Amino acid sequence: MTSAPGQNETKLSVAERMARLLGIVPWVVKQGGAHLDDIAARFDYPRDQLLEDLTKRLFFVGVHPFTPDTLINVFIEDEIVDIEYADWFSQPMRLSSEAATRLLAAGRTVLDMSEGRVQHRPGDDTEAAPLVRALAKLSLSLGAEGSDGAGTIDVCLGHAPAATLGELRQAIAGRRRIEIEYYSFGRDAMTSRAVDPARLLSHDGVWYLFGWCHRARAERVFRVDRIRSLAVTGEPMEVELPAGAEPSLDLGDVDRTATIRLASDAAWAADYHEARQRSEQRDGAIDAVFAVASEAWLARVLVQLGPQAELVACDAGIDPDLRSATAARMLARYRR
Amino acid sequence: MDKLERLLNLTAALLNTPRPLSASELRARMAGAYSEDLTAFRRMFERDKADLRAIGVPIEVTTLHRLDPPVDGYRIPASAYAGRDVRFDPDELAALHLATNLVRLEGGAGAGLARLGGAGGEGAIESAEQVVEAVTAVEAVDELPFHEALSKLVEAAIGRRAVRFTYRGAERQAEPWCLSFHRGHWYLVGWDCGQSTERIFRVDRIDGPVAMVGPAVHPAGEGPDPRTIKPWEFGAGEPVEVRVLVDADQASWACHRAGVDGERRPDGSVVLTLEVRDTAALRTFVLDFLDHAEVLEPEWLRNEVIGWLEALV
Repeated sequence: MTSAPGQNETKLSVAERMARLLGIVPWVVKQGGAHLDDIAARFDYPRDQLLEDLTKRLFFVGVHPFTPDTLINVFIEDEIVDIEYADWFSQPMRLSSEAATRLLAAGRTVLDMSEGRVQHRPGDDTEAAPLVRALAKLSLSLGAEGSDGAGTIDVCLGHAPAATLGELRQAIAGRRRIEIEYYSFGRDAMTSRAVDPARLLSHDGVWYLFGWCHRARAERVFRVDRIRSLAVTGEPMEVELPAGAEPSLDLGDVDRTATIRLASDAAWAADYHEARQRSEQRDGAIDAVFAVASEAWLARVLVQLGPQAELVACDAGIDPDLRSATAARMLARYRR
Repeated sequence: MDKLERLLNLTAALLNTPRPLSASELRARMAGAYSEDLTAFRRMFERDKADLRAIGVPIEVTTLHRLDPPVDGYRIPASAYAGRDVRFDPDELAALHLATNLVRLEGGAGAGLARLGGAGGEGAIESAEQVVEAVTAVEAVDELPFHEALSKLVEAAIGRRAVRFTYRGAERQAEPWCLSFHRGHWYLVGWDCGQSTERIFRVDRIDGPVAMVGPAVHPAGEGPDPRTIKPWEFGAGEPVEVRVLVDADQASWACHRAGVDGERRPDGSVVLTLEVRDTAALRTFVLDFLDHAEVLEPEWLRNEVIGWLEALV
């Protein structure tokens, strides 16, 4: 997260100052003068640096033959900045496609974040309306003919019903305990739990809920799209996790592993499931070592890859005949 | 002369000139800005040009045939420097400012704001701070990746241009329609000119630069939506109607994943009816439910899944 503009303690680079000044000059000229503090805040420019750059660097910038009317004049009186003779800089510089793309990406992300929030005010206008208009204008500056160009970028932070996300946000903000019916993919089981919700996390395009699970008496992470039903209780939370606490969502701390021999046609699975190690065999097959967070995950991978994957080694606690046992259980369903 | 002052003077000189100027003409016009030493001057001048280009200043280079021998001439055409005259209202700037503070984007999001008129009107900065604080107390979103190829692709999509790039080692030509961030990756959705089909590319698998090759000719479409991609819908074959039964516990999740409502049974289980062009992809989907789902129809596909499982026992 960047700090608030104008209060930026870190020093700006020469390039950053240059880029800002090319925006500041036309803006101040168009306003017919502006307060130093306002410029500093708007353009995220440390005030002292701004004062120095305006009076010592921008002042008297000019072009050949350097007659007075070709030199930029900067007047500062009662902290009001006025700039004169800056004709070459009077037009704001075109936004580069990268700068516009970055703004569009940030804006579209916010639109996705605001799904499921209460948006509608009386009338047609929504809270997101200024952002929507700004994004349409950005796409115009990139050459769009109509205002549809803003949809050229689309951001999805996670699949989850907007209503569920909205209720979770309210429960977190209001410090209310929730009760959920949750499908645990790893254990392949449906459970009911009371949870004191602490935070929503979007990681790798998936929404997670982090909180205190009363059933496990521990911190737990739930995937929001696997919450089957959700009820916000009237009860306050019992356990408040520290502000900003975040669980680890990667498999770095999983210590069980399994080695799967992947035929060359299934080699993509090493990338897809993020193998920790891989070694190529003589026939083009790959031995890939995977972190195994749950046996159900491994069972799925093995039955899905079928004859193209063999479990060649696994840690204690993992059934070496897992594929066969799982397939037999699934076949029983078809034969009943 | 201080570097910032020199960059300002160089930009002014290049913007002011109606005809391109050679490097030595520029040095003469920018009295005292550059070193007398020719080698030191060239080095400094090259660096200054690179720095200005990096912040988006469009320096144009042409060969000056009026000089003998011909040398490079430089200028900034006013038409290339100034963008379309798009004015942003204070509330729009405030919204963009808020977005750049709320979203973490690899390499930052807000560098362009200064060119649009800064952060917005009075109070915008304080209220943005409050919103950021309130939102981040409830949720945290990973930093979004940013790839060099993205901006060219967005520009091409908006300007309806075709592009060429290297994708997994092979040269591709495509007409971009949309850039979509989904499951932690950026995807390019558009028309694959070589294969004459709609398709999705992963942007992080594009190697090297993206080149614009001309106007797009194929009509823009929606394209496959990476948000709701159903792998079994992509295939060469005629579509087959497949019915899949999913147990009650997984029913909602299955409907969500398949993007259909399905037909509920009294016990809470659900029958999904799916249009399938790629039966191998459908098999993978059904197997993901372990023994909580089964293919009901058609009979031959049900038997294929049974055969697949029998081979594994």
